[in-house]
Amino acid sequence: MNEKRSAFYTVLLLSAIILVFTFADLIRGDRVFSDMENKVLARKPDFSWESLMEGSYTGKYETYLTEQFVGRDKWIAVKTYMDIVLQKKEINGVYLGAGDYLIEQHLPEAYSSVQETKKLVMLDRLVREWDARVMMVPTADTILSDKMPFHAPYYDQEAFLERVRQQIGEEHYIDVYSVLSRHREEEIYYRTDHHWTTLGAYYGYLAWMGAVGETGEYYDAASMETVAEDFLGTLHSKVNFNTKADVIRYFPETARWPVTVTYDLRDTRDTCYEESYLETKNKYGFFLDDNHGFVDIQTECRNGKTLFVIKDSYANCFIPLLIPHYERIGVMDLRYFNGRLFRFMEEYRPEDGMDVLVMYNCIHFLEDFAYLE
Amino acid sequence: MVFSSVVFLFRFLPLFFILYYLIPGRMKNVILFLGSLLFYAWGEPVYVLLMLFSTVADYVHGRLLERFRGRGAARVILLSSVLINLSLLCFFKYGDFLVGTVNGMFGTNLAPLNLPLPIGISFYTFQTMSYTIDVYRGEAGVQRNLLDFGVYVAMFPQLIAGPIVKYRDVESRLHNRPVDLVSVSGGMKRFCTGLAKKVLLANQLGELWVLVSERNLGEISVLTAWIGIAAFGFQIYFDFSGYSDMAIGLGEMLGFRFPENFHYPYISRSVTEFWRRWHISLGSWFREYVYIPLGGNRKGICRQLLNIFAVWMLTGIWHGAGWNFLFWGLWFALALMLEKLFLGKVLSWLPGGVGVVYTLLVVFVGWVLFALEAPGRIWGYLMVMAGMGRNLVDGEALYLCGQYAVLFGIALLASTPLAAGVAGRLRRSRTGWAIALYRFGEKVIPAALLILAVAGIVDASYNPFLYFRF
Repeated sequence: MNEKRSAFYTVLLLSAIILVFTFADLIRGDRVFSDMENKVLARKPDFSWESLMEGSYTGKYETYLTEQFVGRDKWIAVKTYMDIVLQKKEINGVYLGAGDYLIEQHLPEAYSSVQETKKLVMLDRLVREWDARVMMVPTADTILSDKMPFHAPYYDQEAFLERVRQQIGEEHYIDVYSVLSRHREEEIYYRTDHHWTTLGAYYGYLAWMGAVGETGEYYDAASMETVAEDFLGTLHSKVNFNTKADVIRYFPETARWPVTVTYDLRDTRDTCYEESYLETKNKYGFFLDDNHGFVDIQTECRNGKTLFVIKDSYANCFIPLLIPHYERIGVMDLRYFNGRLFRFMEEYRPEDGMDVLVMYNCIHFLEDFAYLE
Repeated sequence: MVFSSVVFLFRFLPLFFILYYLIPGRMKNVILFLGSLLFYAWGEPVYVLLMLFSTVADYVHGRLLERFRGRGAARVILLSSVLINLSLLCFFKYGDFLVGTVNGMFGTNLAPLNLPLPIGISFYTFQTMSYTIDVYRGEAGVQRNLLDFGVYVAMFPQLIAGPIVKYRDVESRLHNRPVDLVSVSGGMKRFCTGLAKKVLLANQLGELWVLVSERNLGEISVLTAWIGIAAFGFQIYFDFSGYSDMAIGLGEMLGFRFPENFHYPYISRSVTEFWRRWHISLGSWFREYVYIPLGGNRKGICRQLLNIFAVWMLTGIWHGAGWNFLFWGLWFALALMLEKLFLGKVLSWLPGGVGVVYTLLVVFVGWVLFALEAPGRIWGYLMVMAGMGRNLVDGEALYLCGQYAVLFGIALLASTPLAAGVAGRLRRSRTGWAIALYRFGEKVIPAALLILAVAGIVDASYNPFLYFRF
């Protein structure tokens, strides 16, 4: 009798788990986008007999059910905690580093030498054609290697940077690696995001000044102002468990100088900073209004100098620091531009020429750098 | 449809069982049959017809065998049934393998068929063959009800990944089967355990194996190679035995008793013992329908060795149409023959631990043959394992150790009867607190495993179906 009653409760409990979630899943609505995972979720596939017979319909339907499943974010959090309990130091492509650092994983085998050579040849062509300078920023795994999990594998960007230097030549290469290395104990990378912080960008700026021979003391790192204290970035989204939020700072001088910023040749603003992003999850978008194909910045600095930057998102917090050095700065993100780069640059170039700067983090460079001449 | 998916757990499963339990007696088989067709057609919308053809063909052969029982024609009918089943299997599973082999041997240029393998075909053709053979031998009754026979073949729990249920094992329950609360609860617990084995252990360790197997062999250390193959060995064990647990559990919920398929194979003290504990339903199928008819061990040692060779060659090739599977089978044939000749005796004199280590060594070297297909890679991997790696130990190996030590620990414990032993002692105990603890655990543990497994499924980074080649 006792066994029967126990069996009854077992059946009750286990069926309840299945039935409750089935019912909850049947009445939930579909989400278009997952903020937490920062991705568009699968939509219900359109039914056709053809797709059913060839077997693609049911596969898509399963993806749809899985991605829209009720409480998806919570389930993923449960999985993450499970991984942490199992002592895993890598979750969903993110290392759980020392000192609460989340560090994006870049496996050595993912960045093959073929890809590297191809990108370097393209870079070299650009450098020769435009006498460009190159600022290649190593990502957190290389600089904060002492914070990485025990023997965790990572793509060695120090060696890669050495090859970049040799390819393009000393006079075109700006060494960011050394300066970041020297300041590795400071807050130069976000703990929850794959970007460098404004302080990191400031050290990059010092390296740039030294390399191009610019002078002038415009900034003091101690005078940076905080605009957000609750930044949970892209790496946090990938692992999704409670962790200390990051602080976003900026140099207030860069907001005081009058500028005219034109995004994609259309929208004009009078600042490099978009405060509206601080209310969203994507707080790094505060710098240069997130991602745009082309940004044109006019400053009050009447020195007649023009700079053309070809860059990734690492440059977004760096570029405002250049305001006192150029009258005009053109900022090109090749991921959002599908015209011919050299033609565009020729049109942009004023009579008396312009400086050209290529600025990427090593990983984005290897993954995304590509252009049509 | 696979068990470890949202569509099965939160659509098919609740809907099917609500209907199944609500609908009275005889109609249950209608629901089970239609549900099984839907389950199969979800993944194989075209090949479901092939399965139905196979079902009808063997049903008809069964009826014919009944009519011509005892006459010469019965032999012809049996032969026809076996030929049809084997032809289907050969055509779909080994067609391209044969084409490739012929092309390779004679330099011909035959076009491959490029047909995808119908899921589960190796399982259900073996099941239906067991039926006609048993009917011919008089060891099973004839099924006159086509629906009941259809239920036997198509029944979704064991349809796509076993166990291979012989007709006579379920014969008495096909037409009418009482279901009681205790077996439903037992079946549910069993299902949750199997699901957890698949999602929480096999998938995680599988990720590790994928990582290692894709590495350049010149760059990995000896320890990394061993970690990799250990991960694969545990993956396939927990995946396969997890599937069997789920099948057996679902069967219990339906009112069936399926035979056990895995019995802690990794504690075996010899390879002979290993094959009595690993994929038991396949081993017993080959034993009963191939090994014993060939004479088994009754015709002298030479004949016995030959029979072992034949059966394990077939066992190997059953797992996939590829040379590596053939060699995997022959590797075991070799170990079994040596054990028959003298090694078995030697092992029985030695302490048990030696036997376990020896068996694991044979089995895990076997997994290299099983898991890697290209001969060059198999050889290269074995060489690394044998000590020809870049280093004995390197940073990568240490990193992987750190990442997976806990998981391996759990996998190791879960490969032994330890947990079942503790549960059994608590259950049989007379003290109140022990029984209370058991009653509590038997509810909370499966529930927790279910929740964690669902989290693993929704996260869904890696959730493969390994048996598409079987």
